[in-house]
Amino acid sequence: MGEGAKRSFKAARVYNHSMGRRGFSLVEVLVALLILAIVITTTIAMFAERQKRLRQAQETVLAYQALANEAELWRRVDFNGLDAQPLTFRSDTAILAPLTPYVTTVKIDTPRSDVRNITLTIRWDIARHSASLALARADTGGTNLW
Amino acid sequence: MVTRDRGYSMIEIAVTLALFGIFLFIIVTLTSEMRRNEKKWPVNFMSHPDVSAALSRLRRDVYDTKYFPAAWQNYSQTDQTPIIYMVSQSTAETVVWDFRTPGQVTRHAWIANLPQADWTAQGTPTFSAQQYEAPNGQTGLHVVALDDRGKLAIDQILIPRPHD
Repeated sequence: MGEGAKRSFKAARVYNHSMGRRGFSLVEVLVALLILAIVITTTIAMFAERQKRLRQAQETVLAYQALANEAELWRRVDFNGLDAQPLTFRSDTAILAPLTPYVTTVKIDTPRSDVRNITLTIRWDIARHSASLALARADTGGTNLW
Repeated sequence: MVTRDRGYSMIEIAVTLALFGIFLFIIVTLTSEMRRNEKKWPVNFMSHPDVSAALSRLRRDVYDTKYFPAAWQNYSQTDQTPIIYMVSQSTAETVVWDFRTPGQVTRHAWIANLPQADWTAQGTPTFSAQQYEAPNGQTGLHVVALDDRGKLAIDQILIPRPHD
């Protein structure tokens, strides 16, 4: 090997004395691996987080469809009959199938005798996630359109 | 000069392959988990914003509805072509939602007999809308949309708000 070629190898840090070339040291390889590991881990973590948030957004879209349907029905129950209603969802919740298992609850508060606050809630993912919709009903003495 | 080329030892190759195998295992597990999750879901609302947009416009139309005519122009009131007579701020409008083209939802509107610009949503699941009677006797629409695998993507009860 000519002197020029040796100098090129030296410049490229692959010069090994036994045959005129040298490999990378252990420290260099470890540092390179560490950097690679950090990049890969960060990328995977970012990807997983994106998927998680996308799934949560999808779940929320479905949950609020079910809540909106249920609210439409509770809006139209006669005010005087509200207290006698079973505290369960009465609308079809088939849209919530991807969230299975989930729990639905209805809570009615009476802040005043002529007002009822109805809170509809869906909990899923072992109650780690939930969506709620609250509506206030007032005894206006009129029809039960609202 | 004697040159001696030395390859990698069996242990070096084994360790490298083991590390690569672990890396592959993680990637495959992660992607298969994501695939499994994706199959559970209907249409992706985030990458198909037209679906929510169509539902929002339909909701607004139904909230403003005075009644559902049996027919309008060349359209009849069906699950695939719900017809809505609605009031807006200054005028009345007749709207026909056309669900007949797969993957597409079109809103045709007329003010009096004058056709207005159509609005079309693309990449949608298959919509249908049946008339729905609320517990108090009000008539609304029950809007359902199924994706190409038959999964329920939209299931909404829409009931007009009182106007008078």
